[in-house]
Amino acid sequence: MTIVITERSFPQDPASLLPAVNADNAHYWDGLAAGELNVQQCDGCRRPRYPIVPVCPYCGGTAWSWTKLSGRGKVFSWVRYARSYLPEFEDLMPYVVILAEMEEGVRMFGRLMDKLDKLPATMPVSINAPVETVIEKWPDGRCVPAFKLLKVKS
Amino acid sequence: MSLFNPRGAVAIVGAGSPGLFRTSEDSAITLAHKAVNLALADAGLDRKKIDGLIIQIGSPRGQDYDLAASMLGLNTRFNSQTWSHGRFGATVVTHAAMALTWGLADYVLVFAAYNNSQFGRHGSKERPSFGESLREGGGPHAETPHAGLTAPVAGAGLAAQRYFHKFGINPDKLAEVPIAFRNHAMLNPEAVMQKPLTREDYFASRYIVEPLRLFDCSVPVDGSVALILTTAERARDCAKAPVYLLGSQGIHAGPNEFIFGQPGLGVNQADEFDWQPPADQLVYRMAGVTPKDIDAFYTYDAFSPNVLWGLERFGFCEPGEGADWVQNGRIGPGGDLPVNTNGGFLSCGHFNSWFEMLEITRQLRGECGARQVKGAELMQWGTPVGDSVIFGKNT
Repeated sequence: MTIVITERSFPQDPASLLPAVNADNAHYWDGLAAGELNVQQCDGCRRPRYPIVPVCPYCGGTAWSWTKLSGRGKVFSWVRYARSYLPEFEDLMPYVVILAEMEEGVRMFGRLMDKLDKLPATMPVSINAPVETVIEKWPDGRCVPAFKLLKVKS
Repeated sequence: MSLFNPRGAVAIVGAGSPGLFRTSEDSAITLAHKAVNLALADAGLDRKKIDGLIIQIGSPRGQDYDLAASMLGLNTRFNSQTWSHGRFGATVVTHAAMALTWGLADYVLVFAAYNNSQFGRHGSKERPSFGESLREGGGPHAETPHAGLTAPVAGAGLAAQRYFHKFGINPDKLAEVPIAFRNHAMLNPEAVMQKPLTREDYFASRYIVEPLRLFDCSVPVDGSVALILTTAERARDCAKAPVYLLGSQGIHAGPNEFIFGQPGLGVNQADEFDWQPPADQLVYRMAGVTPKDIDAFYTYDAFSPNVLWGLERFGFCEPGEGADWVQNGRIGPGGDLPVNTNGGFLSCGHFNSWFEMLEITRQLRGECGARQVKGAELMQWGTPVGDSVIFGKNT
């Protein structure tokens, strides 16, 4: 499955918010640009893991492979910024960041892209609400994961 | 098996601070100098006696051990320093005890002295620590700038939100924590927040990062605190009654620990499971006491939910029961278990445990005037990440 990529423009260059690409994480960042969310999976205990690290924190195994996530998950927790800290996110205030638990078990942080005026004023997000990954393409081609609430057909 | 009994082997013999300030005009080394001189006078010690130095909060917010020793004219044969965040208070005190019992030093000076106000707000790019959040895995409070996730308050908010969900807690119950601590602060002339805080004030306050409001967040300050520790034998020759270190345990870390919340809560990558604090915690075993014996508890209240997690971590109440447990003034002045009797980070000022260490020292000496906990003999510092020290009036 390819994840939708949307372009995002900024009032200023957001490069200072991005980690450097290195030998360890290049596959992760390249994958995002190709519409894929890739994480490591231990060859021993089979547990997927994130962030990127050369040893399995759960079994100590050092053999691992990349695995492609479905992009689907659910809200594990969330916060809503009422105060602005980063000028790059000022135009999105008040924005919501979620900790998403992906189907495969790893958790990832990302901004919730849903328009807040379409969400309830109090408790705008429910824990366990299903989400899907959307990839934001930033200037200079860097891509970052974000999330959208998945509409469940009733 | 321990080679010796650490209980009561070391004591605090000097404590001093020029106070806390929303903004100080003094440099970090001047703030340090003032606190060190007050601590030496308090202990009745000549500065030549100091032969060990441990600094918490060094560069760039504070001064590092090497220049601090040379600029303050200290000749120290044991020196150490922890990172430029908080959380290492109990660890630094314990390092001092270890240095003393190993004979690496006879009198260890411990201090924290820094200007926060000149370094921009936590979470902003102006803050020197912002670069940490660009490492693999993000910052120490889950900072992930490309997700718009920055500032420690957001990590605390994510943990709080999940905690409320997991245990079915009404978030309004949090109000009790900052109100109790403000009531303590109003009895402490050193606390920076002195105005009464009502429930109406709390609920009228704006969110900073929802679910946490303005009054759930600690007050950043400038200032300094110095403590002097020595062996119990030498302590008896100092000016004031020794405050004995009876037990300690370290910060816990690993895949199931996150700086906010408790094991099992599952924030960030930690696993989710039903957690109970171990029945046998080293700090209590070493001190030979139980939570029921503690006269006042002190914790790292950078954000108000931390207080619930601290109480739960050390078995004062069951996991998930903290919010109910603290109600009706239980942790306020005159309560069953006064917590952060100086007003804590929320109302005295966020100084990374050092004003609480100072407060414990003063309480156990009976120096606290209107806020004195009557008959106080045992006091505990303990945080949501498991580090703790217990001090006693007696060995």
